[in-house]
Amino acid sequence: MPDIGVAASTIVSGVLLGGILALTALGLSIVLGVMRLVNLAHGDFLVVGAYAGLFFLKFTGVDPLLGLPVIALIVAALSVPLYRFLLAPLAERGPEARMMTMFAVSIILENVFVLAFSADTRSIELSYATLPLTIGSFSVPLIYVIGFAISVVLILAVHWLISRTGFGRDLRASAADAQAAATLGVDVERVQMLTFALGAACAGVGGALIGAAFQFGPSSGGAYLLNSLAIVVLGGLGNVLGTLVGGVVLGFLQSLGGLALGDGYRDLVGMALFLLVLAFRPDGFLARRSS
Amino acid sequence: MRMNSGRKLMAAAAFAAASLGIAPAHADEIVIGASLPLSGPLAGFGSFQQWGYKRAVDEVNKAGGISIGGTKQMLKLIIRDDKTDPNASASNTETLISRDHVVAMLGSCTPALVNAGALVAERAKKPIVTGCDPLEVFKSVRKWNYAWDLFFSVPELAAAQYKALAEAGVETNKKIAFWHDNGPDGQAVGGQIWPALAKAFGYEVVQNAEFPVDNTQFTSIIAEAKSKGAEVVLVDAITPQAIAVRKQMASAGYTPKVLNMEKGAEPVQFAEALGKLSDGVLVGGYWDPSFPYPGAADLAKAFESETKLTSSQHIADSYAAAQILLDAIAAAGSTDAEKINAAIAKTDKTYVVGPIKFDADHTAKLPIVALQWQSGKPVIVWPKAAKTGDLLFPLP
Repeated sequence: MPDIGVAASTIVSGVLLGGILALTALGLSIVLGVMRLVNLAHGDFLVVGAYAGLFFLKFTGVDPLLGLPVIALIVAALSVPLYRFLLAPLAERGPEARMMTMFAVSIILENVFVLAFSADTRSIELSYATLPLTIGSFSVPLIYVIGFAISVVLILAVHWLISRTGFGRDLRASAADAQAAATLGVDVERVQMLTFALGAACAGVGGALIGAAFQFGPSSGGAYLLNSLAIVVLGGLGNVLGTLVGGVVLGFLQSLGGLALGDGYRDLVGMALFLLVLAFRPDGFLARRSS
Repeated sequence: MRMNSGRKLMAAAAFAAASLGIAPAHADEIVIGASLPLSGPLAGFGSFQQWGYKRAVDEVNKAGGISIGGTKQMLKLIIRDDKTDPNASASNTETLISRDHVVAMLGSCTPALVNAGALVAERAKKPIVTGCDPLEVFKSVRKWNYAWDLFFSVPELAAAQYKALAEAGVETNKKIAFWHDNGPDGQAVGGQIWPALAKAFGYEVVQNAEFPVDNTQFTSIIAEAKSKGAEVVLVDAITPQAIAVRKQMASAGYTPKVLNMEKGAEPVQFAEALGKLSDGVLVGGYWDPSFPYPGAADLAKAFESETKLTSSQHIADSYAAAQILLDAIAAAGSTDAEKINAAIAKTDKTYVVGPIKFDADHTAKLPIVALQWQSGKPVIVWPKAAKTGDLLFPLP
């Protein structure tokens, strides 16, 4: 049985990490909600964000966490041609065609990363990214706290964007019934393109945070895609605040799994939970309270 | 009319052959092949191996090729990316043999990838020379007839850091923690050999944690070792995980006095990704440009001038493996697999990694040293006879 300091440190670290992962999952969730698209290249957008953070630091010398808006814009801008030239023409071909297209994009992106940046494992080197925040025997990584705070702020900002703005109204209308929204004058294709870009931006920002906290390489996207899918299912499809709750819950339970069974069983706990929620509450924990 | 039908038939046959990917073999070319991890988690190893294999082949080609039946033939090296996937390593080997018609092969890296390919080559009776597969793990797979391995002995490597610490006379509380992945070598080194040696060297084992090869979170493992006061930590993990562990140790405020990261801390990308955090990290090694073997210093210089990258020991075992195979083809004077295999068995020569003579298990043991990353460069800190610098202690 681990002592109280170890247990508390592990659980709080897991919760904070879950919050960071929630940001990347949010991108997946809104794209799924509005476009009915499981974006299988979402993890690769995250990797684009991590490389963008790495090179942003290298070429400007500026902390990439200060440059997060620029990174978000870069990843969003890169996603727009993908939507215009690959996804938009498939609008009438059903969700499978778009999903398989993004699967192909994922494979292509991984190979592009290898060709452009080599297959080396990278990490964004920030002096404070490896500092602990310690109170007695309790200790959590400072970068987790910073990442969690950024993540929560951005998730709340996206929540505000979706619930309080004209774009958000159009987005919600498109998510509820694209055909009806179009009939009422909503430019559904534009909404979908902006939603896709917003989703990519969320992944990109999450990637920069993850690149600073951990390590990444050309094929790192797959693991984060799986975690994001689990968070989306836990939080409820398209539910912005539910995604944050889903991330925190997943982080908490994975930490419990890590404490009880060892760190190697974190993902097992996460995926078991994913299947259980899918079986018994397929609309997520917060289904009844969310719209 | 008949001619037309004949042409059509020939065209159809040519089309069918092309569809099956059967390319005509050039009579004046000796084709050898390798499946390497050029992408995926082990890409850090594969890129160095690729360079070593290519250099050995290029050197022979520049010298005019190899004489087969009295005619000089050039070498063609075909490399396929196994993406760090044992299944891909096996299927690449199948392809190299059946489609590319290789006469012999060179190995991949780490037991999982090497053994997967070697088993296919063994079944097809094609000789394969490899490094990058610890000898005991290689031998445990089967009694090999066509596969040959030059690398280090696991017990010797596992004992290297204990011996290095004893020789340097460093003072710790003798509490030791082992963190290792669940791959074949991780289980052998971290699960069995390190704990067994700990008692012999007077250490108290306070933790032995195992994790999946691709694990990314080490929070609980690190917190437990910290709470148990382990001042010596030995890790066996591949490079992405070794980098993750080192970063997470720092962000958890845990700095043991000694940190050894077998396997993962070998490639230079470890030091590049971690910067100052790599300083003081130990790793077992089997080659360094300072070794007193012919061509050792030149090999590293050639790599660094060509690639502008810091060299790795993996350029040496791959270069030597290719040289051994090419020497055997030359000695056989034939592209017949049996004759090449028999010539490999007779290898008795000093290569860039040291003297190579295969034993009855088809293995040749390389000497071991303890390396430590210091300011982004690997420094030999043990044994005394091979030292290129002093041990940095404690871990910064």
